[in-house]
Amino acid sequence: MIAISVEGLEKNFGGVKAVDGASFSVSAGEIFGLIGPNGAGKSTTLRIVSTLLQPSNGSVNVFGHDVVKEASEVRKLISYLPEDAGAYKNLKGIEYLNFMAEFFAKNREEREQMVKRAVELSALGERLNDKISTYSKGMMRKILVARALMIKPKLAILDEPTGGLDVLNAREVRDTVKRFAKEGTTFLLSSHNMLEVDFLCDRIALIDRGRIVETGKPAELKEKYKAANIEDVFVEVIS
Amino acid sequence: MSHLTNILWKEVKELLTGQMIASMLIMVVFFVIFGSVMGNVQEEAISGKTSIALLDLDGSEESQRLTEMVGSQGNIALTVVSAHGVEEALKLAEGYDSNALLVLPEGFGEKIENMDNADVEVYAIVRGLGIMDTMSSTQAQVAISIINNILAQEYVKKAYPDKEPQSVLNPIVPKNFIFIKGAINEGSPEAIASLLMGQSILVPVILMIAIMFAGQMVITSMGMEKENKTLETLLTMPVSRGTIILGKIGGATVVAFIMSIVYLAGFGYYMYSLTPSNSISMPALSMGVIDYALLGISLFLAILVALSLSMLLGVYSQDTKSAQTMILPVTILVMIPFFLLMFSDYTTMPSALLAVMFAIPFSHPMIASRALLFGDYNIVIAGIIYMTLFSAILWLITVRVFRSDRVITAKLSLRRRR
Repeated sequence: MIAISVEGLEKNFGGVKAVDGASFSVSAGEIFGLIGPNGAGKSTTLRIVSTLLQPSNGSVNVFGHDVVKEASEVRKLISYLPEDAGAYKNLKGIEYLNFMAEFFAKNREEREQMVKRAVELSALGERLNDKISTYSKGMMRKILVARALMIKPKLAILDEPTGGLDVLNAREVRDTVKRFAKEGTTFLLSSHNMLEVDFLCDRIALIDRGRIVETGKPAELKEKYKAANIEDVFVEVIS
Repeated sequence: MSHLTNILWKEVKELLTGQMIASMLIMVVFFVIFGSVMGNVQEEAISGKTSIALLDLDGSEESQRLTEMVGSQGNIALTVVSAHGVEEALKLAEGYDSNALLVLPEGFGEKIENMDNADVEVYAIVRGLGIMDTMSSTQAQVAISIINNILAQEYVKKAYPDKEPQSVLNPIVPKNFIFIKGAINEGSPEAIASLLMGQSILVPVILMIAIMFAGQMVITSMGMEKENKTLETLLTMPVSRGTIILGKIGGATVVAFIMSIVYLAGFGYYMYSLTPSNSISMPALSMGVIDYALLGISLFLAILVALSLSMLLGVYSQDTKSAQTMILPVTILVMIPFFLLMFSDYTTMPSALLAVMFAIPFSHPMIASRALLFGDYNIVIAGIIYMTLFSAILWLITVRVFRSDRVITAKLSLRRRR
């Protein structure tokens, strides 16, 4: 089953073409990575899939729903984690999780279940009763990842999920992503950490100046370009 | 909990912080203390005696007689000083806490006896530049008026021994009436002007406080969302843009309402402290239930316009810091009618100025507060219809902006324009 279908996607900001005819598809349950340098169009693509921005041209479908015409349907299926995202600083951690769960839960029981899952995922324990303004960057990212996954979304869109995290925290996030993918969640993530992508993603798309320049499984791409890692593949493709 | 209540609850929690509550309380305490101090000072200025020193360089019988007569007046505390010159007398007067020194020069008595103009030197002793300080210094003129009045009465008595001096000096005694809203009321135009000022200044002040707080709340809320990068997450939630806007405006309104009530209680106490206890009331100029209902609707709509406008401006804020300046256009739009109506009335304003004022939605509750006193309902209802249309259009624009990329990219386009 196709989770995401992107066809000839273009996005212009005034005279700047942020995405230039990108096309790719992601199967359900897959971890798909968009790889590229800063300003390549990764975040813009993720924002369009998340219904935040509207495409200038082309089409994007999420589980068969058009992101422009059926945005409200798409929003029921996705969970988006922006790059460098924050949370409401004057709320306690647990209040924030309850606030977010309320949008997806059909009843109180379901909401409590979601929050319970987030409490386990974040592993913040008693600190969840503290205001978010007192959290470190690592703690903030943990609660945000927990928030994104507590609803068990059909599609999780994570923009630089481990950005700014130390080795241990980054590893925890990667393990969580792997575990949720096994349970059926589809992941679309962006990163410029090529080694992380190599470890985490089932398939990747290399994006440069708004265009998808190569797509495939990390192992296949390394073999195709006779490269030791994805970083070398990227350099080879770009050159 | 509905999505709307959920967003509303979050907004209130985010905006009503400990710091904000503390600043509110400090402001109220300030109003109460300042009100008490100003009230006492004013009461003293009104009911207290004018303290005056007098130096008699003439030493004639006539000058001594007048000095005694001035000293016997109930509202003057007179201190007669003995000194060789004005400078020495001023130092002594200052020591007695006098507000002024009157100097009767040599030959004063002779001129009075001959019914010629006689000079009296008046030295106002200014200790500060506050309104109350200068007000007390000008009270020296009271003593001069008293002396003039005494002498005039004496001259009249000499010329017309069988007449009452007051009826010669003031042959006409006016009895003031005001015809307003079809009824005759006793009172002077000055009294009605002060009553109208008191009644019509309160609505603009309420409006200014409410709009500034509510507008600031909404813009700050947007600034915080952008600064903390929570807006992007919120906009991907399965909830309509209209609900998000309504929740944010609703939350800001709740916080602004609490703040306005607290501030107004403080401001009300401050104003009450400054109101003289003998101020007049005029039944013809009081408002009925319908008048208050119309004024309430007018105020509510003006606040709604301000909130929608602030929400729209908030889209362009990048963080809480830039959000602070975004409220400026709203504040200016409130200040324009506030000052225009402070110095003139809408019935006497030039057409061009009137058109500008009518175009500004915030003018209408201010106009309504005056128009309702005079039973001019047409202008009030027209204002309500105008503000309803204005806020509906603003609401549609805001929802449209929230549905577009602009809510995310507004910062980007601003930067590019620079």
